[in-house]
Amino acid sequence: MARRQKAAESVRRHRRRLALLGTSAVLVLTGALAACSGANSTGSSAATVSGTTAASDGGTLTILDSDTSLTLDPAQSWSLAITTSGLTWRRLTTWKIGPTGTPEVVPDLATSGGTPSEGGRVWTYHLKSGIDFSDGEPITSYDVKYGIERTYATALSGGLNYQKPLIAGTAGYTGPFSGKQLSSIQTPNATTIVFHLNQPYGDWPWVVSTTSLAPVPAGKAPAATFGQHPITSGPYTVQSYTPGVSAVLVRNKYWTAASDPNRTAGPDKIVIELNQDPTVEAQTLIANGPNAQDAFGADFVPPAQLAQVENDQSARSRLVTSPASPLEYLAVNVQSPRLKNLKVREALEYAVNREAVIIASGGTVAAEPATTLITPGIAGRVAYDLYPVGLTGDPAKAKSLLAQAGVQGLTLTLATGNDPISTAIAQAVQEAYKTAGINVVIKSLSSSAYTPLVTGNSAGGYDLAVSSWQPDFPSAMDNIEPLFSSAMIGNGNYNISRLADPTVDALITKAEGTIDATAAGAIWAQADKAILADAAVVPLVYNKNSFLRGSNVQNFYIGEFPAYPVYTAVTLGQ
Amino acid sequence: MKITRFLLVKIAGMIAVLLLVSLAVYLIFYLTPADPARTECGRVCTPAELVQVRAFMGLNEPVWRQYLDFLGAIFAGRSYGSGAGAIACPAPCLGYSFQQHQTVLSLIGQTAPVTASIALGAAVLWLVTGVAAGVVSALRRGRALDRAVMATAIVGISVPAYLVGLLGILVFGFKLNILPVSGYVPLTQDPAQWAFHLMLPWCALAFISAAIYARLTRSQMIEALGEDYVRTARAKGLRESRVIGRHALRNVLIPVITLFGLDLGALLGGAVITEKVFSMYGLGALLIGAVATTDISTIAGVTLLAAVFVIVANFLVDLVYKLLDPRV
Repeated sequence: MARRQKAAESVRRHRRRLALLGTSAVLVLTGALAACSGANSTGSSAATVSGTTAASDGGTLTILDSDTSLTLDPAQSWSLAITTSGLTWRRLTTWKIGPTGTPEVVPDLATSGGTPSEGGRVWTYHLKSGIDFSDGEPITSYDVKYGIERTYATALSGGLNYQKPLIAGTAGYTGPFSGKQLSSIQTPNATTIVFHLNQPYGDWPWVVSTTSLAPVPAGKAPAATFGQHPITSGPYTVQSYTPGVSAVLVRNKYWTAASDPNRTAGPDKIVIELNQDPTVEAQTLIANGPNAQDAFGADFVPPAQLAQVENDQSARSRLVTSPASPLEYLAVNVQSPRLKNLKVREALEYAVNREAVIIASGGTVAAEPATTLITPGIAGRVAYDLYPVGLTGDPAKAKSLLAQAGVQGLTLTLATGNDPISTAIAQAVQEAYKTAGINVVIKSLSSSAYTPLVTGNSAGGYDLAVSSWQPDFPSAMDNIEPLFSSAMIGNGNYNISRLADPTVDALITKAEGTIDATAAGAIWAQADKAILADAAVVPLVYNKNSFLRGSNVQNFYIGEFPAYPVYTAVTLGQ
Repeated sequence: MKITRFLLVKIAGMIAVLLLVSLAVYLIFYLTPADPARTECGRVCTPAELVQVRAFMGLNEPVWRQYLDFLGAIFAGRSYGSGAGAIACPAPCLGYSFQQHQTVLSLIGQTAPVTASIALGAAVLWLVTGVAAGVVSALRRGRALDRAVMATAIVGISVPAYLVGLLGILVFGFKLNILPVSGYVPLTQDPAQWAFHLMLPWCALAFISAAIYARLTRSQMIEALGEDYVRTARAKGLRESRVIGRHALRNVLIPVITLFGLDLGALLGGAVITEKVFSMYGLGALLIGAVATTDISTIAGVTLLAAVFVIVANFLVDLVYKLLDPRV
């Protein structure tokens, strides 16, 4: 996922910068206060786990969240499997994210991760028995099918929808509301579901773990109103929801721990307080008053408060920082006439100063250098550095490459979001390239202008773009295909390098059709290198996200992926 | 007869201005490079789906047609799509937020009471304290009290709203722990908690605005006290309180009321920073969220409503002006 907008819980994941933008004035103030107290944001000792004990039940957990609304219809949700939607929705499969170890896809409602046949073109699942919706009705394969068919209704578009182009025979299908069903999803009985895909697809077990594929009671979920009073399948159901104020989740009395080893479901009640100002949210959690002890923050701790936490032993023990995860990168528009020459693009790889980008991102507590595309913690990733220039770059090498290409006085346009961090990164890039004799003109844009420019159908208007990306599920596919497949150029898609390399496309197709995860991972790693060999992207840094919890919140951790706390594991001390 | 004509002219003017504003607001749809259909289409979206979504949202029609649909929906309502999967937006329909899955009117219905609570409470507070401080200051002109009041007013005028809000939170919320730092309790649910939760936002907003009113009142009052009619009133042997209250203040209030009406009207359209700092979901927070997510229907609906507030406030100011000053 990238920087784009969607009014939902997931916005935060995509647009950290934008959330900060709204309160940048506040950040300036608190930054000044932090500076007064002599805080130093570098040299943090990051913990990925905070407050680990044996699970206990009961209590009311509060989640402080800057989002103003939640998407409670699974068809439209972008929520990760282990955050809010994991509390309310079960799917055929889900994620196993421990404090350490590679993320795995594990069975949830199904008895296995899926049985492929016809070379991965057909996937069969059997449902566990005795699992009910929050209205007491059993969850059947018909409900799973209905939930997926709903995602094809135009009124319910807007979700992640990885399944939509993959399921066979869906051209012209507009959902189940007119009585039509998809023949490519077969339900021979109430506990069996068979998917027929357009192509062999090894990541199908990950695709069925996304919220869009959660079961919805067949025939009982009108498009316009189901999201207001959803019938859920996870450990919690929605007692009340007031946009901009709060959502109150209470136990789904039909959920049983025995059927669900992946969710702890500790608290009796979870109150999601919406529309929180991230600065005030962080201050509340740092102060750890009576109301904050049973709470955690769903937002990244802003840079100024991170600095404050450094000087506060209690708060520091309650801070959790993710491993290096979302990729911040410089997309190189290979269709720009100025960047058609590979040597020129290679010069960009050598001239970059990652140390300056780390400082612009908020220091080592917030970022680590990146030289590859696949997110650390995702199976198949191979660490390598095709353009070894150290942290500060090699402007001399870049100059010599430009000379070899016969290019002089190169001027490039760099598009960036107008939030403080993106702007700072763009300026760091501009400075570094200046030392290599490349003149960079920064085009600083609001998100409503930036996104159409870089994802639109015209290749003009920018040579370089600062962007960031974190996969929607832990597969290397989601690092590579959305950003570098030639099918993802324009039309609002995110191949903003506009790379159309048949070799890369062939590797993508081959990796997608490979069922064995290890073998697929190896092909994705090959694609990763092939894209860097094209010099179509300059990886800058992997960002690290920090979150705070109150003192009574237990089992609050971030796994190797994603860079978010595992909500489904959090419990309260008694 | 004169007043009827005055009202008719004013109301006709208001309608004309609203139509112009609605046209301008509607043009936002076309001036912004963002494609609302692409935002609504989801993370993975094929070109065929994009066409479907565009048609569903009514964006495939010619511009003039869409504007007429937009206007028509305010009176007759409309629906997006057809059949069992359609989304209805009953009259008065100000648009439908595809991102928040609600009609813009229902979003406004949820957020307007919050903004109104903040704005009205703060307005009463700043008008009373501002005018009182200004009058006292003018009467004690040049003395210590005057200097103290004016120095405080300078601070109030110079300090940005977010600073006052955040300092209030730090001092009264975290250090003294006597006031809640965030959240809104509806008046209908618990009036005491409603006021308790609004205490900080009211004070923060009032502090800033009262400063302006204090300075304005002071200068107007000083001017009035030097006028012939005040001297005449005093010469007639009227009590000083009557001279000030009845004669001077009435004239002083004319520009104050003008300013007050405009300020209140603008604030009702959304107390953006205050709402954000105090985590209250009012019109301002709704608008900021909509801008951040390119939710154009919501932007258009809220902007139109804010325009209504300003125009109506202007109208009321004109009316009050007429009552206070019969020369107009």
